Amino acid sequence: MWCYEKKLQYPVSIKNPNAKLAQIIASQYGGPDGELGASLRYLSQRFTMPYPELKGLLTDIGTEELGHLEMVGAIIYQLTKGLSVEEIKKAGFDKYFVDHTAGVYPASASGVPFTAAYIQSKGDPITDLHENLAAEQKARTTYDNILRFTDDPDVADPIKFLREREIVHYQRFGEGLRLATDRLNAKNFYAFNPSFDKK
Amino acid sequence: MNRRNKQLQALSAVQFALWELHLYLDTHPDDLQALSLHEKYEVKFAKLRAAYEEDYGPLTPVAGEGISWLKDPWPWDKDGGED
Repeated sequence: MWCYEKKLQYPVSIKNPNAKLAQIIASQYGGPDGELGASLRYLSQRFTMPYPELKGLLTDIGTEELGHLEMVGAIIYQLTKGLSVEEIKKAGFDKYFVDHTAGVYPASASGVPFTAAYIQSKGDPITDLHENLAAEQKARTTYDNILRFTDDPDVADPIKFLREREIVHYQRFGEGLRLATDRLNAKNFYAFNPSFDKK
Repeated sequence: MNRRNKQLQALSAVQFALWELHLYLDTHPDDLQALSLHEKYEVKFAKLRAAYEEDYGPLTPVAGEGISWLKDPWPWDKDGGED
């Protein structure tokens, strides 16, 4: 089970609303490389993970991603709070607004609703860990791209924090992959799937 | 920054150090130096957490806390809500 903590992992306090920026950042809430997908990916993969270090790592990183989902949600909420209909129209936020008002909804920047097709849980530790290494880099690139459009330090600061977490998670998953391969057949890592094949 | 946010920031900084060590220990469970550093920060964190909760209510839902759990601000509120 989980226990909620009534705080963000890193503070979010944005003075100036900016609906255009909110729409871009929303991709990290429910987009292809967003935090919702990240948490579901790791928290689903862990059930068939055979190694103790990796059960822990998937549980812990998956949990941290839920905290990041909350941070991104807070950024979107604060960027869209108190806007007039005129400002919403000017920012091009009207297309989002008509369906969700200022509600935080998991979709990509281009409006595609969140789908589990963004993630994979393959039931093979080597495959899943490579999926995760790629996922962390894709999220890092997305944060890099968000930073290209961000000139407000109130927004850039928490986004930079989230970007750095992708790099740390990539590092930990890399170590996890090494721990997994150390336990496999050194001549052929794919000789058997330790999650499925009896050895 | 108001007093609440200052306390929250100090608490979050130590909690972050603890979390980083925790993730590192997932893949390096035998690293005694990291373990002892984790123990050191745990003591620090417990003190900061107790002081924060004393002033601003519980960080986690606990039975019997009633109205103090429901009190604003929530984490997504701007500036942690002005004091």
